[in-house]
Amino acid sequence: MTDTVKQHRDLSNAKDMIVCQGVNKWYGDFQALSDITATVKETEVVVVLGPSGSGKSTWIRCVNRLEHHQSGNIIVDGVELTNDVRNIEKIRSEVGMVFQQFNLFPHLTVLDNITLAPKWVRKLPKAEAEEKAMELLEIVGIPEQADKYPGQMSGGQQQRVAIARALAMEPRIMLFDEPTSALDPEMIKEVLDVMKGLARSGMTMMVVTHEMGFAREVADRIIFMEDGEIVEVGTPEHFFTDPEEDRTKLFLSQIL
Amino acid sequence: MTEPTSPNVTAGGRVQLARPKEPYIPPREWIRDNLFSTPFNSILTVLFTALVFVMTRGMLGFIFGHDRRWEAPATNLRFLMTQAYPDEQYIRVWFTFGWILALAGLSLAAWNAAPRVGYRNLARKAASVGVAVALIGLVAPAMSTSGRLQYVLIGAIPMAAGIIALKILDNHDTRDMSAFVVQVLVVAGIILSLWTVPYGQHTFVDGAARVDSGTVAQSTKLPLTIMLLVIIAAFYVGRTIRPHFKQLKAVLGGIWLLSPFILTTLVLRDPAFDSGHLLSTDIPIGLAFALGGGAILWLLSSAKAGETGRIAAAIILVLAFASFLTPMRMIVRIDALMLAGAALSSATFAGSREARLRFVGGWMGAIVIVNWLVTATNTPSTVFGLPTGTFYGGGLTLTLIITSFTLIFAFPLGVTMALARTSKMPIFRVMSTAYIETIRGIPLITVFIFFAIMLPLLLPDGMEVAKIPAIVIGYVLFSSAYLAENVRGGLQSIGRGQHEAAEALGLTTAQKTLMITLPQALRVSIPPLVGQAIGTFKESSLVLIVGLFDLLFIARNVIPNTSGFLGAQREPLMVASFIYWAGSYSMSKASQRVERKLGLGER
Repeated sequence: MTDTVKQHRDLSNAKDMIVCQGVNKWYGDFQALSDITATVKETEVVVVLGPSGSGKSTWIRCVNRLEHHQSGNIIVDGVELTNDVRNIEKIRSEVGMVFQQFNLFPHLTVLDNITLAPKWVRKLPKAEAEEKAMELLEIVGIPEQADKYPGQMSGGQQQRVAIARALAMEPRIMLFDEPTSALDPEMIKEVLDVMKGLARSGMTMMVVTHEMGFAREVADRIIFMEDGEIVEVGTPEHFFTDPEEDRTKLFLSQIL
Repeated sequence: MTEPTSPNVTAGGRVQLARPKEPYIPPREWIRDNLFSTPFNSILTVLFTALVFVMTRGMLGFIFGHDRRWEAPATNLRFLMTQAYPDEQYIRVWFTFGWILALAGLSLAAWNAAPRVGYRNLARKAASVGVAVALIGLVAPAMSTSGRLQYVLIGAIPMAAGIIALKILDNHDTRDMSAFVVQVLVVAGIILSLWTVPYGQHTFVDGAARVDSGTVAQSTKLPLTIMLLVIIAAFYVGRTIRPHFKQLKAVLGGIWLLSPFILTTLVLRDPAFDSGHLLSTDIPIGLAFALGGGAILWLLSSAKAGETGRIAAAIILVLAFASFLTPMRMIVRIDALMLAGAALSSATFAGSREARLRFVGGWMGAIVIVNWLVTATNTPSTVFGLPTGTFYGGGLTLTLIITSFTLIFAFPLGVTMALARTSKMPIFRVMSTAYIETIRGIPLITVFIFFAIMLPLLLPDGMEVAKIPAIVIGYVLFSSAYLAENVRGGLQSIGRGQHEAAEALGLTTAQKTLMITLPQALRVSIPPLVGQAIGTFKESSLVLIVGLFDLLFIARNVIPNTSGFLGAQREPLMVASFIYWAGSYSMSKASQRVERKLGLGER
């Protein structure tokens, strides 16, 4: 295993982008998140690992309030998430999200999928939004698919469109919720390549994934979760070579 | 060794072979494989062939029976279509028909909606029609030998043409032509026959039916010929202007939507319409509220209005309520209440010049629509009702008027109800659920009786409603409840992921609903929605319960009670059934095409 491991960067002076303090969440009586406290700095790439059912997705979905937490604070780019609708809309237009199932709008073409939110939320003129969308499609490598419908594309292409759609809002933070889990193996690479490029460009990213290679190569920090709580936090180097907790060791021994 | 048949080579260098052609199956084998494959299937085939034969023969025996009185519907065709619309004003009916055909022709061209038919398919269809016509002559009981011969000979022409064409055309001929051209040619042939074939002239003179020999009346064949020319001309005009006129579809959609209103109020109305009341009362009131109210709202929505504005709005509200205590036209009270509501909310719309202009513009639009609706239902001599309570355009016209108005209003109301029922706000959910469940528990006939007979009694003084608008209001409320349930089914089929993706992009709830969930939900609900539209069309015949003369009532009750056609009930009923079937079938066909077009993007 001699994959490139990302060099450690000192981000202690960078701005806090996502701050979670003692976040708790319950589904009925079941506690899905318990006392989650973590901070994501500007330009930092944080990968969240953990067995299924450990609360990774629930946590990341709390960050743009697709799920509501019941106690604790989540502060995104200086704005606290509460029930105030204006705060939520402000946060959501600054936080891009990519889903496991892509969730493209099947009745719109690729171009319309990407330009919809910039036109209606950012009030961008149509021509400008389309120009921007074509640039993004260029970046994710499928400009020739602009007029197709999602149903006519492969999963990997759809996920790249979904990334372009999120980027079109010019977000300051990108959340990825298992972006490659629904893809065939030969398509995973094309999506990961786009994500790597994004990380290199200085985007703040929070990624839930099972791709260990990606975590090792791109992450600044890895957070390991189990049973709704954070078990261990560390650099990839530390995490993959010298984990402290027994639960982390067990997890790594199962997947590596 | 023969040459390989043009292999296609892929980028990878693999040779792609052309798909092998379907082997020719001789008819005998086809019949054996598909109809007599097992003893059980053979029994079924024989049994059902016999059944179809007996039923067809029975039907033909009915149609060609010696005691059939087809002159009853033939003489009363105009009666079935429009009831007793005065002869000298009949041009209004033809104008309406022509208007609809012109729009249809333009739309066919604008949406490029006419399907293509392959030559081989066409030849097969021609042959089948020929066989069917010839079979009529062979199978029908009680027909003279010369009659049989006629049918067989007429059927032989398309049959022969079709079979010859099939022989000439290659098995894999891919040429095709527009179905519009085919249909126009068929209709043109029928109309040509009206000018040449002596079908006989059916007239009703002095209480007695008279049949003269010769071709049909000039007043039938001439307008029909013009109608054909109108739709052809409209189609080619549409095709010519389509490339130069970007908004053509939007404009046509708007005209389609406005047509029922324009046609019923301006064209199909009482020819002796009393416009004095309209000019002296209805229009001035509407104008006063549109302009005066607009000016008040312009001032109130200014940023400087502040507390004074709120006081002014409160005064308007008090005045509006006070108007109910003094005798006054109902429309004034309604307009005043609307103005009070708008004045109270005007602070919300305060802002830039454009925002204020939009607000005032919206007010004027609302006033025009509401005043038009009230005037149309309230004034005795619009199309909707004469002072005597009868109505000129009965028959199919009435059926179509009720159906189209009901569908136009029920659709938005039903969609709103569906959204309310799936909304997160408990008050909306409870109200819409209560409404839907109440309406669905009431028979349609009860709704009709209530709205036609009870509603006028319940209205406040100074407000009247003619019978047809009353019926339409009831029918709209009834249909929208069912429509809401169909749309709700569609809304619930939209996955959670779609909602989340829209929310994650920062779309507001309204934007998410209008642009993401509703378009997908409506697409899913097309089949049940069209089913309901067909139901609305057919069930409108229940208006006979409140004494309106729709298509079915005229066919079943009026014609058989007319001197000269006493007791002739089955023939008009059969014609009416055919008209209902043709309408429903074309709706169904159109919806299938829409579905196929919309389904393009999805796998």
